[in-house]
Amino acid sequence: MNRRELLQCAAILVSGVSASRLGFALNEEQWTYLATAPDYTDRKVDYLTPAQRRIIAAMAEVIIPETNTPGAIAAGVPRYIELMVADWFNEQEQAIFSAGIAVMESDVPAQYGAPFEQLGPQEQVAIMETLEEQASDSDWYRFGTVQREFLSEAPFICQMKELTIWGFFTSEVGMTQVLRYDPMPMHFDGDTPLGPDDSSRPMRFI
Amino acid sequence: MMTATTLDFDAIVIGSGITGGWAAKELTEKGLKVLVLERGRDIRAGVDYLGEHAPDWKAPYQGKADRELFARDYSVQSQSYAFSDYNRQFWNNDRENPYISNPDKPFDWFRADVVGGRSLLWGRQSYRWSEQDFKANAQDKEGIPWPIGYRDLAPWYSHVEKFAGISGQAEGWPELPDSEFLPPMTSFALERTIKERLSRKAPDLRMTIGRAAILTQDHNGRSACHYCGPCHRGCSTGSYFSSQSATLPAARATGNLTLKPDAVVERLVYDKDSGKISAVQVIDSRSGERQSFSARLFFLCASTVGSTQIMLNSTSETFPAGLANHSGALGKHLMDHLESPPIIGTFLDDMDRYYFGTRPNGSYIPRFRNLGGQDEDADFLRGYGFQANVLRMDWKMLFNRKGFGASLKDTLRKPGMWIWALKGFGECLPRSDNQIVLQRNKPDRFGIPQVNIDFAWGANEQAMWQDINRHATRIMKAAGAVFYQGMVDKPNAIGGGAVHEMGTARMGDNPSESVLNAYNQAHDVANLFVTDGACMTSSSCVNPSLTYMALTARACDYATTQLAAGAI
Repeated sequence: MNRRELLQCAAILVSGVSASRLGFALNEEQWTYLATAPDYTDRKVDYLTPAQRRIIAAMAEVIIPETNTPGAIAAGVPRYIELMVADWFNEQEQAIFSAGIAVMESDVPAQYGAPFEQLGPQEQVAIMETLEEQASDSDWYRFGTVQREFLSEAPFICQMKELTIWGFFTSEVGMTQVLRYDPMPMHFDGDTPLGPDDSSRPMRFI
Repeated sequence: MMTATTLDFDAIVIGSGITGGWAAKELTEKGLKVLVLERGRDIRAGVDYLGEHAPDWKAPYQGKADRELFARDYSVQSQSYAFSDYNRQFWNNDRENPYISNPDKPFDWFRADVVGGRSLLWGRQSYRWSEQDFKANAQDKEGIPWPIGYRDLAPWYSHVEKFAGISGQAEGWPELPDSEFLPPMTSFALERTIKERLSRKAPDLRMTIGRAAILTQDHNGRSACHYCGPCHRGCSTGSYFSSQSATLPAARATGNLTLKPDAVVERLVYDKDSGKISAVQVIDSRSGERQSFSARLFFLCASTVGSTQIMLNSTSETFPAGLANHSGALGKHLMDHLESPPIIGTFLDDMDRYYFGTRPNGSYIPRFRNLGGQDEDADFLRGYGFQANVLRMDWKMLFNRKGFGASLKDTLRKPGMWIWALKGFGECLPRSDNQIVLQRNKPDRFGIPQVNIDFAWGANEQAMWQDINRHATRIMKAAGAVFYQGMVDKPNAIGGGAVHEMGTARMGDNPSESVLNAYNQAHDVANLFVTDGACMTSSSCVNPSLTYMALTARACDYATTQLAAGAI
């Protein structure tokens, strides 16, 4: 079976699911065929104010900016952050986030005369670096190369970084235009050349 | 050859996982009318693999774990590496399916109550047992002797391998007999580098590509692996062996199979006059209705704990302590493999080499301790092997760093160092105090008493753990790791964690100390066969599923022969 046949096969299977869903006792959400489902960031969310959204988007773009490839905003990261804060964060994490965004809303205009998203790149980076400096003794930075659970005590700037980076590199834009994602490799080769500028291919064990 | 007369079926198989699928295939192909009872719901091959090939951006939270749901409903199941929102529909809800274990000695019982069972989720590693494995109990007097040896099982290994499709490299090593192999998967550059170093610096060790029930070429109507990676989401091309991809379709093709999902077996009914099982009592998991089915043959393939639970619950005047339990051995000698946490080494070699595709398989260092006799420096019996996996670090392992902007983005998009991780899998001795009992005052939602699992590592496993750590360190040094992380001194592995639970209805020649004979037939009940992990008399250190398959096929052959001869 080649790649084209395989994808055709997948398409047939998908239509089979929608035709026979009634026979199952599980709820609708559990019976979504994920590969053809809407993107996670297509979900509706109304957690932040318009002013907060502008700040979050600008901060995400400072963390992962547009370069010769798209950045956080183009990858839908601001919506991802809002969804995660609304649906996934627990109360402790939401409280840290709320306090953090409140400081951004009040202190930045007071000090710089304009909201965060209207500042120049150098000022934006300086503000973010100050936040990181203040958070530098957080355990969030300590775990080196080990994968871990989300740290509930993580300061606001660390929350922003983790959600931005995660949201970006698991987005369609991040995986296909920045990383080298291939859903159907069809063969394995463990000894291909790697150039100095080559991006990762996501290894998919889970 | 044989047809049902006044009975509902010729044979009833309880469970549709690895062994139930094999029993269904073998018995239907011999002409028997077979009913397979599966307590879980129906899963259709392919169409119900809902997370297959889904990219992260489609998943809830883009792949971050649903912490609240997992903690509430999947507190045990979510401990598995294979559990995620991409395949949650295969796993049991722990809140709805409770069992009991001692909080001081926890036991993780991983379960998939769906058609196909854990054959959908297994690690697919497939190794033959060696002659030494079968002789171990008799030689060191731990446990009772096996009633069979390697020679008895070898043709049945071949039989199941030719159908299932096992990829691997023939090596000719007595401690790890070769299978009937499909071509092996190829290696990472780093694995070749490490293998070369080990051959010089640790010449007592051997290393080979993982032997996996994953097709490297089209085989028996199933497609070669397409290397998408996460097998346990289900594989609609049938590239790894499961009941869904291989045995159940074969059984169905005979026209002799009836498959009944949502059928929870409550008990087997023993008929004193005939001395046999006459029927199985079943509860419909949706309606709660009770039904009974009769047959001439009964195959218990409900998993180690599941089969023993059914036998313990099937009491009668003749068998007050559980079906076919005149020996008193039923429920005892529970084993699992002693699985170490990954011992992680990082490497600076082959940094300019990379990969294409995800190889769902590692490499294997077979047992090297106490081979052919007790090593002088070993303070434990038997041995262990290492499963090794290669990873290249990426953003997921490197993101909690300082900095912003283009340089952060550029760093995170590129690969980091290579990782080579070793996991020890040690043989667990059969001990009578590791056991399963029924907690009669705690029924589950079907009114069936919950199992109470009592399991702890013994002194031999404690000593083996230290040795695993010592030799993992030696191997990492010899392999050339620039940094490696060992493990803690005492076993922190939780029982059941290797998902290789075995024993509790062991085979043996002596009916006074074993439940099953050399053909997986109950000593006390001629038409009852138990061919899943419950039958195991010892545990070896290699992954057990291939051996279960071979034992099942062999038992089916024996049972049908006996049936035809009028002996059952």
